[in-house]
Amino acid sequence: MDKRNIQNIIALANELRWKIGDDFHDNLAEGIYADAAEIVEDAIIDKNRDRKERLDNKIDRIVTSRVWGFPIMFSILALVLWITIKGANYPSAFLADILLGDVRPMLKSFAASLNFPWWLSGFLIDGVYLAVAWVIAVMLPPMAIFFPLFTLLEDFGYLPRVAFNLDYLFKKSGAHGKQALTMSMGFGCNAAGVVATRIIDSPRERLIAIITNNFSLCNGRWPTQILLATIFIGAVVPASLSSIVSLGAVFGIAVLGIFFMFFVSWTLSKTLLKGEVSTFNLELPPYRPPDFWRTIYTSIIDRTLIVLWRAIVFAAPAGAVIWLISNLYIGDQSIAAWMIHYLDGFGFLIGLNGVILLAYIVAIPANEIVIPTILMLTVLVTGMHIGEGAGVMFELDSVNDTASVLKAGGWTLLTAINVMLFSLLHNPCSTTIYTIYKETKSMKWTVLASILPIIMGFVVTFVVAQLWRIFVN
Amino acid sequence: MYTYNPIYALLIFIVVSMVIFLLFRPNRGLFWKIRSIYRIDDKIVIEDILKQLYHNEAKQIGINFLVNALGYRDSTIISGIDKMIDGNLVYFEGEHLTLTEEGHDYALKIVRVHRLWERYLAEKTGFDKSEWHGIAERKEHETDDEEAKNLASSLGNPIFDPHGDPIPTSSGKIAELDSIPLSGLKVGDIGKIINIDDNPELIYKQILAENIHIGSQLKVLENNTTRVTFYSEGEEYRLAPIVAANIKVLKVNTPEEILEDNVIRLTGLKPDETAIIEGISKESRGDSRRRLLDLGFVKGAEISIDLVNPFGEPTAYFVKGTTIALRDDQARKILIKKD
Amino acid sequence: MDVLPHSNCENCQHFNADGLKKLGVDTTDFDFVVALAGNPNTGKSTVFNALTGLRQHTGNWPGKTVTRAEGAFQYNEKKYKLVDLPGTYSLLSTSDDEEVARNFILFGKPDVTVIVVDANRLERNLNLVLQILEITDKAVLCLNLMDEAKRNNIEINIRSLAKDLGIPVVPASARYKEGIPELIQTISDVASGKIICKPHRIKNIPKDIEEAVKILSLKIKKEFPNIPNSRWIAFRLLEGDNQIIEALESGVFV
Ligand SMILES: Nc1nc2c(ncn2[C@@H]2O[C@H](COP(=O)(O)OP(=O)(O)OP(=O)(O)O)[C@@H](O)[C@H]2O)c(=O)[nH]1
Ligand SMILES: [Mg+2]
Repeated sequence: MDKRNIQNIIALANELRWKIGDDFHDNLAEGIYADAAEIVEDAIIDKNRDRKERLDNKIDRIVTSRVWGFPIMFSILALVLWITIKGANYPSAFLADILLGDVRPMLKSFAASLNFPWWLSGFLIDGVYLAVAWVIAVMLPPMAIFFPLFTLLEDFGYLPRVAFNLDYLFKKSGAHGKQALTMSMGFGCNAAGVVATRIIDSPRERLIAIITNNFSLCNGRWPTQILLATIFIGAVVPASLSSIVSLGAVFGIAVLGIFFMFFVSWTLSKTLLKGEVSTFNLELPPYRPPDFWRTIYTSIIDRTLIVLWRAIVFAAPAGAVIWLISNLYIGDQSIAAWMIHYLDGFGFLIGLNGVILLAYIVAIPANEIVIPTILMLTVLVTGMHIGEGAGVMFELDSVNDTASVLKAGGWTLLTAINVMLFSLLHNPCSTTIYTIYKETKSMKWTVLASILPIIMGFVVTFVVAQLWRIFVN
Repeated sequence: MYTYNPIYALLIFIVVSMVIFLLFRPNRGLFWKIRSIYRIDDKIVIEDILKQLYHNEAKQIGINFLVNALGYRDSTIISGIDKMIDGNLVYFEGEHLTLTEEGHDYALKIVRVHRLWERYLAEKTGFDKSEWHGIAERKEHETDDEEAKNLASSLGNPIFDPHGDPIPTSSGKIAELDSIPLSGLKVGDIGKIINIDDNPELIYKQILAENIHIGSQLKVLENNTTRVTFYSEGEEYRLAPIVAANIKVLKVNTPEEILEDNVIRLTGLKPDETAIIEGISKESRGDSRRRLLDLGFVKGAEISIDLVNPFGEPTAYFVKGTTIALRDDQARKILIKKD
Repeated sequence: MDVLPHSNCENCQHFNADGLKKLGVDTTDFDFVVALAGNPNTGKSTVFNALTGLRQHTGNWPGKTVTRAEGAFQYNEKKYKLVDLPGTYSLLSTSDDEEVARNFILFGKPDVTVIVVDANRLERNLNLVLQILEITDKAVLCLNLMDEAKRNNIEINIRSLAKDLGIPVVPASARYKEGIPELIQTISDVASGKIICKPHRIKNIPKDIEEAVKILSLKIKKEFPNIPNSRWIAFRLLEGDNQIIEALESGVFV
């Protein structure tokens, strides 16, 4: 091989290109398709032309129709969410019973029989193990229900039709119709939603979908919303209305999230991301009967377990941190107490408190452990005799007991509303942040996706808190 | 010692947000403005003057013209011109400035870089058409010869910029075209749009808003002092003469080249109709265009509407055995021939 | 011509079921590399799973597989490493998926490239097939989704298709494991050189381009006598593909 000859070839190519003009690509593409048409002419004996008669097309006409399109879409999404939230209750309780009720005492007595010092068994069992167990119990069941359901819809071929129906709305905010699906996936788990953005093949719209996925209220946050709405918002209306009103409040938060998703998408597409390449096309594949068992199997392996594994990897150190800050002392107070003390001022300014902020800091790995951490820390600072001691997260079976702990911690209706808002608008969990980095391979977008929602959270809770204090009391 | 008061807190917050907004809002923020003023140096002033002289070679240009056109201060321009005379780029002929041969070459080089950048922005980024010019205006001063060469080769040494203007080669060769303004066509003439001037911006934006594309063929229906009316790709357009003057066309005389009247845009297709694709407009570029070709939106392919969206957009088309949805701004750039 | 168009029965006899072992992810010590290419959503991952016994994620969504997956199977004492590539509509553009697929076929030099196509959308799929045939001359066409084609009353003349394309064509319904034995047999025949392909070359190109391509590809051939795809490289040079220019300069093609 001679370097000079190769340079000559490249130079010749440049010259020839100048001669044949700008249409080379078009001509080649047309040429290939012309060849293809000739071959098909030879090979296909019976072309089926009456497409309109086919089942595919008939289904399409219904699911994309003006009258039926949206009702079908929303009922399916509502059904999936309902099955997930309802259906996850029993296995979740079951897992919690085993992992927290049975296994933990066993581990404790095992550690005692080995004469572990209190701090070692505390660190390992009350810290690391408890956090991991908690995440598994709360996270596994809903994901194991949500993802297979979603995957079945995907395999059937329905999801691209949803993207088709909704694209117009997303186009208005500079996004891609397929974002409707990555967003819905985000209702299950934001990390999975971020992975799902791979179906968007246009760089700009894919980044938008990744950065805004966090505005979909994920499985880890639904329970927080439901709990707080039940305790605080349901309580301000007559008992007969309370369940409806609290459900409406949770729904309102989810819708607010969708609103923020559109708003941020629009802003990003007009500012930071306007230079990214943007293309659009949406192929509507044929409907196919899903391969039921294989779908269930792969979605559990591929999505559920992988996401769960990542969450555990991040939750274990978080458990350790939670235990340590509550049990290590500086002077006469634990580190947690100090931090809460320092965070209280800022917390008050945005209508929260130091306990809540600290809980959100240490519970970055998983939103599931926010409430248990808040309860534990509240007990810690108020000196109540509930729970199992410093650094041991817990949850209470009765909603009333939970309410009394929170109220003892100084919670008001404003606190509850702002926690609900803040739970929607804060940084993604560390699993999601890590996934965003893996998908974008860019520090810049990962940082943006992480801090944008929390800044918005501060702004929104701040404004709500001031307005509340001015107008309500 | 101060005490907390929610009203003050809110007020402080509002003031801070407003200051941040005024400083950093996209494009018009004070911070960006100050930065761009701060960045102006001799090189930029000189290069801008060169470009003005180059583009207005037919006219006789004095200092006043430059002050008006460029918006720099008098003193900035005068000191720039002094340096240019020292560097043997321009000389005075009485009141008027004239480019020397060196100055001409320099100007050509900047024009080349500017147009290469516009081409780059059109092909490889997602910036909107209306922003290409402004960004290229900045980039042209920051690009040296080596970078310009790499830019050109990464684009495949293109001949035209996205507005249809020729890009000079590195040796100064420049493709010639006998274009005339659209307003210069007579009623019944057929022309092909080859250039849309992006200056002045106001008129350019007006043309863009009408969805008029480079490469479109048109037939003049009416041309008088109040308006120019023409038919193109299934639709009728009405423009003021000064707007029409910013659209340059090539007159089409050979009958084979003249498209039939039933060649329209894909957006003109109705459900239950079938058509044959005639081609994709030059206005569709870069990845977007290549993707359309890959998907089978090629000349000769049969196309029909498969599904209509409840919102009216996008529309799902059936082409080469598959259902593919496109948005209207894409469909508008695909030409079809109805049976 | 040495192409044997296969129909189901012809191959049932050849296929040696006892010689097949699915090896899952164990891809050590292989004898041949087999690439799985094709348009999105044509069943590549399903074919991959059928051959290796793995459970790659499949889904009725164009673009399910994004990064390439690897697996292996053994047939008649030979080990085959199988690479599931992301689905692409074409190899002429520059999106990430296309780059992965194209780079593997071009630089990974697979011993056999199995092109999985959707029998219901043959024309669109041929766009990619014809491009791949410009790059490699050892390919097998897996005409998948035959069950759906039957339902849609589409009949395909396998013999004429194989003749026009110059490569063996195997009809299959990968999801129901139909046609997989035949596919394995054909892969092994192409890998071992028992079947020699004579792939189709793109014909319908304007004269001036054809002329330019001819000049360039002759020069490239002279420099790299052993490559099967000088014409395709000429296409890419005319397009100004920087990656190919760099590859030429660094001598990857030798
Ligand atoms: N009816 C039928 N369906 C099939 C067959 N092969 C695959 N499928 C289905 O087609 C869909 C797509 O299959 P995949 O294997 O994921 O396709 P792929 O080519 O890997 O797709 P990408 O990774 O997106 O490029 C799945 O829903 C499969 O179940 C077949 O032979 N018959
Ligand atoms: Mg796949």
